[in-house]
Formats: sequence, structure tokens, C-alpha cells
Amino acid sequence: MNSVLLKTLYDRRWFMLGWTLGFVGFAALMVSFYPAMHQEGALDALVENMPKAFEGLVGNLASLKSFDTYLASQLFDIRLPLVAGIMAIILAQGLSTHEEERGELRTILALPISRTKLLFEKWLALVIITGVTVIGLGVGIYITAPVTTGAELEFLTFIKLALMTWLLMIAYGTIAFAVGMISGSKGLATLVSIFVIIGSFILSTFAPAVDWLGHYEKLSLIYYFPAVDIVEYGIAKTNVAVLSGVTLVALLVAIVVFRRRDVR
Amino acid sequence: MTEKTTVLKLAQVTKKFRRFAAVSKVSFAVEQGEVVGFVGENGAGKTTTINMLLGFTSPTIGEVEVFGQHISPATAHVSHRRIGYAAGDMELPKHMTGAQYIHFVMAQSGGKKHAKRYGELVKAYRPQLEKRIGTLSRGNKQKIALVAAFVTEPELVVLDEPTSGLDPVMQSVFLATVREEAARGTTIFMSSHYLQEVAEVCTRVILMKDGGVVEDLSAEELAERGGKVVTLKSYKEIKPPEHARWPSSHVESDVHVLAFGYVREITPLLKWLASQEDVIDLDISEHTLEEEFKHIYSGQDDKGSGDE
Repeated sequence: MNSVLLKTLYDRRWFMLGWTLGFVGFAALMVSFYPAMHQEGALDALVENMPKAFEGLVGNLASLKSFDTYLASQLFDIRLPLVAGIMAIILAQGLSTHEEERGELRTILALPISRTKLLFEKWLALVIITGVTVIGLGVGIYITAPVTTGAELEFLTFIKLALMTWLLMIAYGTIAFAVGMISGSKGLATLVSIFVIIGSFILSTFAPAVDWLGHYEKLSLIYYFPAVDIVEYGIAKTNVAVLSGVTLVALLVAIVVFRRRDVR
Repeated sequence: MTEKTTVLKLAQVTKKFRRFAAVSKVSFAVEQGEVVGFVGENGAGKTTTINMLLGFTSPTIGEVEVFGQHISPATAHVSHRRIGYAAGDMELPKHMTGAQYIHFVMAQSGGKKHAKRYGELVKAYRPQLEKRIGTLSRGNKQKIALVAAFVTEPELVVLDEPTSGLDPVMQSVFLATVREEAARGTTIFMSSHYLQEVAEVCTRVILMKDGGVVEDLSAEELAERGGKVVTLKSYKEIKPPEHARWPSSHVESDVHVLAFGYVREITPLLKWLASQEDVIDLDISEHTLEEEFKHIYSGQDDKGSGDE
């Protein structure tokens, strides 16, 4: 445990284990629901009559007919961005502000560790921990799928969905992380992050139903994670670029400000 | 004669928090091998100054240099390779054990090459190495902080109230470590509320008051500030002798009480005492560093004494 990265992973080991197990269970639950949701013909009438605007809340019910699109629309498209985003924000907030609030940051900064290195290794811990939880999703899906009727998911499709989920978590997490490192304030990091994630969720959920919200839909990070489209057409480079760009900008701003500011 | 290197230097340093100046126009330099006591009341600006030395904060105005390098939050880590640091209110990583933390500190500065020093310090301080730091008492955490400050054999050790929380036995172990380090040529910059320990080990004392340096005394000057405290009780009002320092008088139940400090030769004082009439009580005690600083803080100096 001789680096900030290893120390941070060690400090957060229970958080990582808890959320990973949670993701395993969450994914397993969604997979095991599939036979109940997927009843040939049962949803056809509902799909035909359902208003387009309703899709934002319940997903595209037409996608329930196959397992991969079911998983994309019901797990990756609606529920996961919110749950995983919140998890990433809680993690990032802790990584960026807990040590400073407890007074431990000075203890670390009194050592020959540059602020850039400290910040980058903490961010790397964010990337690794979110990555592990995403692997948990895969474990949940692949341990439940063999015992669930009709639940077959190509591994490549899962990898695409998992990578984009990871990228979305990193983007949310990095925004919260950057606000925490810039301000040292848990309160401000929470406020900004909640605004970003709830804002994204509202925009993505209600934009199909409310005309004027539609103009702002691209401001939502969730917009760049169209899970059903990923299953059907693959990952769009633009979406990767936007999520990576947001992450990179937030990280760079955090480095520039944290290198200069006073710590408590 | 070998020329000594300036280890740290502050030039006209001011640190403001909004409109409040916690430190104002502070300038001093510390040479290699000095053991400097940095003394002052709570809120005098000691910790703010140390925070700037270590790059935790940057000065609003002025320049801080350590080992000839300009210190800013972005660059301070370079000088930290040569600095050990411990503070009385230091928060150590509570998830780590004492051993894990000290090895983490050692790993940042060359790891195993400090194994011998680690053994010596562990033997002297007997810290609880296998328990998680979060479960330790303040004194035990402080032992770990001190071992970590000295273990990398730094050229400069910065200590902010290092013995608060330590029992008297550990305080003497700490003072022995400081003496040992000083003998090796390590520079020590130490803030403390315990003036006795400052007087015991420091070769120089810098006194802070209201964010500024009010005294910067060498060990010799400190010794000169020692002398005696004379308290005299009489039925008559008595005027203090020539060369009395910070004289004060008051009346207690019709008895006049005169107190003053005295650092000169004792014979003139004895002659003066012999010439006094109606003296009902006399007390002569050693003047401690603590008393000296009390006088400085209360704004009393040598006024009215005729001292030079």
C-alpha cells in the first residue's frame, strides 16, 4: 500500500464490495424478470396504443420481445444511468472531499507527493472502482441468464453496453470529483452533482413528452447513452467523444485549480 | 569557518483570509542546524505560517523559500523530499494501521533505506503499530506522527505543537530525539505552547503576536532574559531599583507589593534590598521563559525601569 492509488482502493474496499454485490443482485433481478415481461403477443396491443411520450418513463415496450433489447431498455436505458450515476457521485464526492474535511489531506500533502499525482491517482481509483461495479453487472447477468428462459446475450453486446455504462459513470463521477477537488466542499459537490444527474434524468425522461424540453435533451449526459441503439447499431463515436470530452475537461479544470488552491 | 545554508526564508509574508490578516509582513530566515522554537498564543499566526512553509496555503503577499526553492501549493512537494512534518492536531489516515502509515511515508522517500532509523524510533516511542489508527488514543496517534516525521531522516523537521497529547515520559523521549537530530545537523522548526521544552532544546526562539514577529532571540539572548523575579512586601510604598524590568506594584490589605525582574549582577540588588525599610516579606525566584513571554504578551516590557 505504498501509493495514493493503492491506499485509496484499500480505504474504499468495502464501498467497492458493497456496490459490486448490489450491482450483481440488481442485474440478476432484472434478468430473472425477463420471462414475466416477455410473453409473446401479450404486450402487442399495449405497444400499439401506448403514447410515444410514455416511452421516456417505461422504455420502449416493443424492445421487450428480445432479451438483449429488453436488457438495454429496462436495465441500461432507464434504471442503471440513475443508480450507477448516483453511485459514481457518492464515490467521487468521498474521494475528493472526505480527506480534506477530516484534515487527512494535509498529512498526505506534507509528503513528497505532488498535487497532480494525488488528484490523478484518486481519479484513477474512481475509474477502477466504477469498472469493478460494471463487471458486477456482467456477473449478475451471466449467472442468472443460463437459468432464465430465453435469456441469451451476446458477450460483445454486453461489452458495448458495459463500456458505455462505465464511461457514463466516469463522466458523472468526474464532474462530482472535479467540484470536490476545486472547492473542497462536500456540500457544493453534492449540490452540483445532484443538479447534473437529476437534470439529466428529467431531460431524458420527459423530453419525448414535453416539446420545449426536447430542445435541451442534448444537455443530458444520458442522451449519449442510447442503450437500445447500442444493441441494434453499435456504439456511436460521437457519444463516446462527448462523454470522454466532458470527463477530460472536468479533470483538467480540477487539476489546474487544485494545484493552486489552499487546502484546509 | 564554514558558511551555513539558509534552509527556510520568509520575506514580508502576509496571509489574509478575506479582510483578516492572520499573518502580517513576517520575515525571518532559518539556517541549517538551528533548532528554532516558534512561539505564540493561539491565533498568533504560527500554524498559518507553517501552512505556508509546507505549501498547504499560499501567501497573499510575500515570498516563502525552503532549501532555496520558491514554495507554492503546486511545487511544495519537491521540498517535501527533505522535510519531516508532524502536528499535534494531525489527522492520520484512520483506515491504516500505524505500521502501514509509517511504511507509506517511508515509501515516498526511499523506502527500505530508512529501516535502521525506523527500528531506533520504534524502540524509543513504542507506538502501537498493528492497530488501526482510527482506534488509537490521541497520544498514541501522536507517537506515530512523530516516528513518521523523523523516520525518513529529513534535513528539516517542521513540528506544530508536537507534544500536545503526549505523556511526560514521551515528551522527554521527544526532546531527546530533537537533541539527537540537532547533533546530526538537522534543522528543526518547532511551534509549541510548552515554553519549558522550547527553552530546553531550542537555540533560537521566534515569538509571534497578532500575526507578526515580536521577538527573535538567540539562546544567549534568551539566557540574558532569565535572571530573577523579586517580590517585596512592605508597609511603605517602595520604588523599584535601577535596572528593574517590568516593575509592577499594588496594595493588598494596606501592604504594598512590588514585583520586578532583574538580570544584572546580584550585588547592587542586595545593596538595594538592604537599604529598604519596613520590609515584611521577600521572595526571589528564577525568571522562566514562560514569565518572560507573559510580560511580552501583556504588553509590559522594560518600560519605566530605566533599563537599556
